[in-house]
Amino acid sequence: MVSKLSQLQAELLAALLESGLSKEALIQALGEPGPYLLAGDGPLDKGESCGGSRGELAELPNGLGETRGSEDETDDDGEDFTPPILKELENLSPEEAAHQKAVVETLLQEDPWRVAKMVKSYLQQHNIPQREVVDTTGLNQSHLSQHLNKGTPMKTQKRAALYTWYVRKQREVAQQFTHAGQGGLIEEPTGDELPTKKGRRNRFKWGPASQQILFQAYERQKNPSKEERETLVEECNRAECIQRGVSPSQAQGLGSNLVTEVRVYNWFANRRKEEAFRHKLAMDTYSGPPPGPGPGPALPAHSSPGLPPPALSPSKVHGVRYGQPAASEAAEVPSSSGAPLVTVSTPLHQVSPTGLEPSHSLLSTEAKLVSATGGPLPPVSTLTALHSLEQTSPGLNQQPQNLIMASLPGVMAIGPGEPASLGPTFTNTGLASTQAQSVPVINSMGSSLTTLQPVQFSQPLHPSYQQPLMPPVQSHVAQSPFMATMAQLQSPHALYSHKPDVAQYTHTGLLQQTMLITDTTNLSALASLTPTKQVFTSDTEASSESGLHGPASPATTIHIPSQDPAGIQHLQPAHRLSTSPTVSSSSLVLYQSSDSTNGHSHLLPSNHSVIETFISTQMASSSQ
Amino acid sequence: MAGKAHRLSAEERDQLLPNLRAVGWNELEGRDAIFKQFHFKDFNRAFGFMTRVALQAEKLDHHPEWFNVYNKVHITLSTHECAGLSERDINLASFIEQVAVTMT
Repeated sequence: MVSKLSQLQAELLAALLESGLSKEALIQALGEPGPYLLAGDGPLDKGESCGGSRGELAELPNGLGETRGSEDETDDDGEDFTPPILKELENLSPEEAAHQKAVVETLLQEDPWRVAKMVKSYLQQHNIPQREVVDTTGLNQSHLSQHLNKGTPMKTQKRAALYTWYVRKQREVAQQFTHAGQGGLIEEPTGDELPTKKGRRNRFKWGPASQQILFQAYERQKNPSKEERETLVEECNRAECIQRGVSPSQAQGLGSNLVTEVRVYNWFANRRKEEAFRHKLAMDTYSGPPPGPGPGPALPAHSSPGLPPPALSPSKVHGVRYGQPAASEAAEVPSSSGAPLVTVSTPLHQVSPTGLEPSHSLLSTEAKLVSATGGPLPPVSTLTALHSLEQTSPGLNQQPQNLIMASLPGVMAIGPGEPASLGPTFTNTGLASTQAQSVPVINSMGSSLTTLQPVQFSQPLHPSYQQPLMPPVQSHVAQSPFMATMAQLQSPHALYSHKPDVAQYTHTGLLQQTMLITDTTNLSALASLTPTKQVFTSDTEASSESGLHGPASPATTIHIPSQDPAGIQHLQPAHRLSTSPTVSSSSLVLYQSSDSTNGHSHLLPSNHSVIETFISTQMASSSQ
Repeated sequence: MAGKAHRLSAEERDQLLPNLRAVGWNELEGRDAIFKQFHFKDFNRAFGFMTRVALQAEKLDHHPEWFNVYNKVHITLSTHECAGLSERDINLASFIEQVAVTMT
């Protein structure tokens, strides 16, 4: 005599149980001493309900019972579906199990891809490693991954196992959070698959929300004190809870992904090490590979990295690599190719915090590096700067350094927001304005970034005419594009982007690149951009240019082969760049030394986005 | 009794509301409250959802304003004590989201 529970009854019971009511408490509340396990021998009501549940269990409408059996087998690897009484208590009774079954059935009827997306987003939201799913469901990890990410078909039975895990996990997590304050009670917290199997919790993983917070803090200070770390701990846990849709006061429910001071401390330590490493790579790159012929990638030609950039304007541009007096450059660089490289790393300290954190720090690091070493770093070239140099009319006085280097913002990323900022600045005269035209260069990896549009270039370009020399790239210029880029890269806000690493690469790469493209020829002419590429140095005559060279013989300049289509010079991207998957390689910033006819557009050759990020090391061939 | 009945400041809203907005909660006009409509497969699920929310509301001592017709549930959250949004609303909304996911 099994009386089936109506679905609503099952729902309500499940709700009760889920709210934290233990079975025993429920039974007691019902006045039944007999435990539920007595298989319906108890008093009628209770017995019936119990029996009912049991019966229901056995005769679940869509034959879930059978499925259950099979599921049990699958699930037994990890979660014991019908564990001994102990487990059962936690498992919330058969009503709950029935409810779970019902939910699983529903999911099975739905479009598998939709459900897969749900499950995947849940995994991301709670930062659950796939390994946990695999261990408890017995599914093949590769198959699971493909099913969730790409929609590879999965047989019904296996999907049922997956959905069962999903449903159960949700309950577990819900309980975990609900009981956060009361201490973990569930035997199988999110971290453990099987309490009995191994007492090991899942490996801690940083969530995107926390990482954002940390990067912002890293920008502010690389070495936080214990109090600051604790503050960060609170902030991160709060963010993680919000991401999961629970109250921040239930942070304990985060389980293995709970952020602690130790973790924060380690994170900072690792970032610092990373930076040092990148610095080291930068140094190696610069001093390492000999300058290649022609366009050659990286022109470390610039004199030894140790030489401090001559007359580098202290302003943002630190990394200007002037390439010490032309001599060295000339020697190294073939005339045809853009000889000297001007790399300027922009300080970019201002990078806007949102979403740029990694890049930001990188940039600053680079900047520092450059200044320290005299510009070994090949940060994003300041093509714009160079360009502007040429453009500027001779009469302009500008500090030499500024011209060249100034404009180099280091990373010129052309971000969506950039043009606006760039534009206006340019118009300002004088170096002071800064906005170096942001070098378009960096394009990021992110799909979003790809917009390096010529637009960006053009804006800055225009002003160049007016301006004597590219004003030093203001940090903001650089940063904005960069930041925009980074922001896009980062983009996690509210979404669990599972590719934060991409961003990482990106900014790394960005820094590495150096781009310079300038139409040196113009230096002399300034106004007219002659297509010919000339070594900058030679042209330095121009008054304005002289400024550039200033102290030492002309520094490097990048020439842009004037070809119209695209005088693009790519400065050798550091090969150390990690490639960003999406970014195109060898970025180049294309500058075109266009004649005045081209007008502003000269800088931006056609629309090909000249700007590419350097991310890749290959060097772009320069069009000569 | 959960504290945090103070009205949310602008910064707090900027920090907390985007997440909720992203999942479908909207701010009402003319009233400092958030609102969302839920649909379920049938009445049972809807009511099961409501039961869970109700139990939690009792626990938090913060109750929603809601309306239910068969499989639809419309929920409005606001805090009476401060005549506007408070952290309690955010907490309850988060919990509601969590439950809704489980219930489809």
